[in-house]
Amino acid sequence: MAATYDVIVIGAGINGLTAACHLAKAGRRVLVLERRPQAGGASVTEDLAPGFRYDPCSSDPGWIPPAMIRDLDLTRHGLELLPSDATLTGIGTDAGTLMLHRDQQTTIAAIEKVSRGDARQWPAFAQRMHKLAGFLEMMYEMQPPRLIGGGLGEMVTLAKLGHKLRGLGKKDMVELLRVLPMSIAELLDDEFENDLLKATIGAGGVSSIFQGPRSAGTAFVMLHHHVGSDTGAFRMRQRVRGGTGSLANALASAARAAGAEIRLGTLVTALRIASGRVTGVVLAGGDEISCTETVSSTDVRTTLLDLAGPAWLDPELVRAVQNVRARGVVARMHLALSELPRFTTLPATSDALRGVISIATNLDHIERAYDDAKHGGISRRPVLEITIPSLADPGLAPAGQHVMSISVQYAPFTLRHGEWNAETREALGRDVIGIVTEHAPDFARTVLHQQVLTPADLADNYFQPEGSTDHAELGLDQILFMRPLAGFSRNQSPIDGLFLGGAGSHPGRAIAGGAGRLAARAVLKPA
Amino acid sequence: MSTNSYDVIIIGGGHNGLITAAYLARAGKRVVVLEKRHLVGGAAVSEQVFPGFTYSVFSYVVSLLRPEIIRDLELPKHGLQILPLESTVTPLPNGDYLAQWGDKDRSRRALARHSQTDAEALDSFGQLMHHMAMAVRPILGMMPPDPTSLSPRELKSLAKFGGHFRQLEEKHFNWLFKLMTMSAADFLDEWFEFEGLKATKSASGIIGTFLGPRSPGTAYVLLHHYMGEIDGAFRAWGFAKGGTGSVSESIASSARALGAEVRTNASVSNVIVKNGRAVGVALENGDEVRARVVVSSLDPRRTFLQLLDASALPDDLVTAVKRYKFRGSSGKVNLALSEAPSFTCMPGPGAHLRGAVSISPSYDYLERAYDDAKYGEFSKQPYMDIVVPSMIDPGMAPPGQHVMSIFVQYAPYDLNGGWTDEKREAFGDAVVNTVSEYAPNIKPSILHRQVITPPDIERITGLSEGNIFAGELSLHQLFFLRPAPGYADYRTPVQRYYQCGSGTHPGGGIMGASGRLAALRILEDGI
Repeated sequence: MAATYDVIVIGAGINGLTAACHLAKAGRRVLVLERRPQAGGASVTEDLAPGFRYDPCSSDPGWIPPAMIRDLDLTRHGLELLPSDATLTGIGTDAGTLMLHRDQQTTIAAIEKVSRGDARQWPAFAQRMHKLAGFLEMMYEMQPPRLIGGGLGEMVTLAKLGHKLRGLGKKDMVELLRVLPMSIAELLDDEFENDLLKATIGAGGVSSIFQGPRSAGTAFVMLHHHVGSDTGAFRMRQRVRGGTGSLANALASAARAAGAEIRLGTLVTALRIASGRVTGVVLAGGDEISCTETVSSTDVRTTLLDLAGPAWLDPELVRAVQNVRARGVVARMHLALSELPRFTTLPATSDALRGVISIATNLDHIERAYDDAKHGGISRRPVLEITIPSLADPGLAPAGQHVMSISVQYAPFTLRHGEWNAETREALGRDVIGIVTEHAPDFARTVLHQQVLTPADLADNYFQPEGSTDHAELGLDQILFMRPLAGFSRNQSPIDGLFLGGAGSHPGRAIAGGAGRLAARAVLKPA
Repeated sequence: MSTNSYDVIIIGGGHNGLITAAYLARAGKRVVVLEKRHLVGGAAVSEQVFPGFTYSVFSYVVSLLRPEIIRDLELPKHGLQILPLESTVTPLPNGDYLAQWGDKDRSRRALARHSQTDAEALDSFGQLMHHMAMAVRPILGMMPPDPTSLSPRELKSLAKFGGHFRQLEEKHFNWLFKLMTMSAADFLDEWFEFEGLKATKSASGIIGTFLGPRSPGTAYVLLHHYMGEIDGAFRAWGFAKGGTGSVSESIASSARALGAEVRTNASVSNVIVKNGRAVGVALENGDEVRARVVVSSLDPRRTFLQLLDASALPDDLVTAVKRYKFRGSSGKVNLALSEAPSFTCMPGPGAHLRGAVSISPSYDYLERAYDDAKYGEFSKQPYMDIVVPSMIDPGMAPPGQHVMSIFVQYAPYDLNGGWTDEKREAFGDAVVNTVSEYAPNIKPSILHRQVITPPDIERITGLSEGNIFAGELSLHQLFFLRPAPGYADYRTPVQRYYQCGSGTHPGGGIMGASGRLAALRILEDGI
């Protein structure tokens, strides 16, 4: 216990590790404490069955900014990016499918088969969304501006931002202001007529949020997840060889190389605070480690209410922290398959299998799935998003065999009737296999092994608040300068020396390491 | 005045049109108002649909009317008399009731019976909403700046707008942001626990929208309605003596006294444009009326796409107006009753009958009502706001008999299979049956019944799709986006053609602010 540290980072997820890298590179003595036996947090890759590797929480590492890879030299530390998914395929009813492709001409040709009008609209729509996402990207690289209450420096930042916003051009600027608060259904209904096209894009607007496609703000969610993508490449994800855990491993390696120490299997139970300032952390078992600053990459509720304790907080703030909405709605199902699934409408050689396959018939289907959750139940017909990562990355499964992951929405963390247990978990698994089987009749036979992770499992095993990997839902009132809550959007906290740097902080999950990088910057350059 | 040439023609004799007329007449302009119906008022009319019974056919309560308008136009002198609406009673599923009174202490005591915590929170909630209403108030009297314009004048106006917000305490600004972006349910959940209270308060957030209380955007509508309670001249909701039509008539009387001419049975078919300039209007009977300025108080769809030849308009405006959302969702049932209603939860006569009865037992109830409408049906168990005007103003019905006004949501404009006479009656039955569950003596005492669906509202008043706000009050249709970006300044691309209806900022309710601002704009333009 002799060594003391400058900064202790709580949690070795992507954000925690990114913060550790930047801090260690700046010469701070950094210790990262992770309660799980493995680094990665919600971005781990584990064994599903012997020979099968899978990403339990999320198949989506978010956009990995090229600058991050360069700055932290992640390639040297083993990071290998696979080409982004090339396709997003919607499977609807009546054997209809629609494959959108990273190549715009291919997409247009595909849409043309279902709607000439929509095909005509597509290029301009894709271009516009790309521009708007580009503006978000810019805002995600910096701390969110304080719209009011800031000093002169703040005015300058705002003016610069305003200038850039105007730089979008009159039309696009208005478009941004108009689109952000819209519902994804309104946005798409204005543009397109084909149900499957709208459902396939629309499902991205409700990703991990406890809202349906008709709810305001879901157009923003779609744009948020579009940041960093190519024009028109909606929901086509960037992949990492070896699974999302490999990104964590590369970051851990980079952090260690920069001098940071990472201790796994080490649970922080409390922050040691004296005179309103962090002086160290208390571990399970009672040991204490001193430090001058702490970056917490766990969620804000755990950080402030459990680790710091409400006694240090203003009662109004306690209420605000309790009110941060993190309502897990996604269950994850993982399957080890003896062979590639044979979808009746997709040839086995189809590019579709290498990308994202979305099973949502139309926007009403998604809305009805949400209705069930809104009334406290699991969707009777959930919306599925399927990936088969072993196709692009054969190392994830034994030769000829495959691993499939399915995000299942909506499966709310809190069930009004009953609870998540073995029975409800199995029933959900059966439902999901049933839906896939409708489109791939032989599917059940190919399943060697399966696992369902409910939001309760994601909370219990991976410590995601209410099973939400977003830590704070991406509602319009919980983004930018309101993320994770008003007054604390710049990684600071009510306790001196304690910084917030997890997915719940700006910019959120879609930008790999974004919050960790900003938190490190806040530590190094206190406001 | 027999001349057929005027300074200004106002199309539409609703309250906004009349207010614009009155303000322009007050400034010495020769003004004529052309109203297609036989009486003025638009959606604010009183009519004896059945002899002896006066209905406020559409809009039935007032509070939002801007105090400066009442003062400037001396409306009390012209017969405006507001009778306060004392209470809101919500029957609860367990047979009990929740009563909210004009007297705050009484409300708190009544609430304490259900939740001590909520009773304690009531005051601070009221204070917050007061601050919020004060923060928004100046915006209601402000012409929206055009943020895309680089003209010094617009920049100055934008700076004034920004400056207004920068004056707010940061805490209040953050709350305001939350109100602008959250759902009414999420917002109220942060304050209260008692379901009956939360649902009843949230109902103000869904009025006139095609949204449920859990849809983001509804917290703003809640605030919009709070404006009246806090800032309105009457400091509470109230009835106009003689029904809502008296409000319109008092404005018309004031306008006439100021020299304006008001013509009824004068339906305008189109605006006459010469060389890009409005020079008059053509009536449906073939007559033409000439003026130097033409103002439309109709909604944006009619103002631009019906009264004008759309091919003469810029494409961006046409697209924006076509996209502008109406989606009428409210219906109205007006009953003539042989005796006073008796509610099971508060039997017999009492002060509560001089207030509103709100059928809003829970969020789930409201959401289920919304769910029906989302998929194209009217609510089987609708949300209802019930008032008995004859209790306060006995002149509305023969002695001992009563009129009951039932505002109903949701009744979608686009009903599956379309609205027919049978559907209208089925809708009326659903309403009466639901009310009867709470007040069983209603059914046998019905003498006459008037059922109004959104297409009826559209047909009679001209409001497109029957939207009572002349366009939804959603975030992307407010302020400088109302009705379309770049056209929120009451001007149009046609010279000397202006807009003054609720489809412009700030819109909605019997507020009159847009009518006044439009008049100020016209005077400012010096025409």
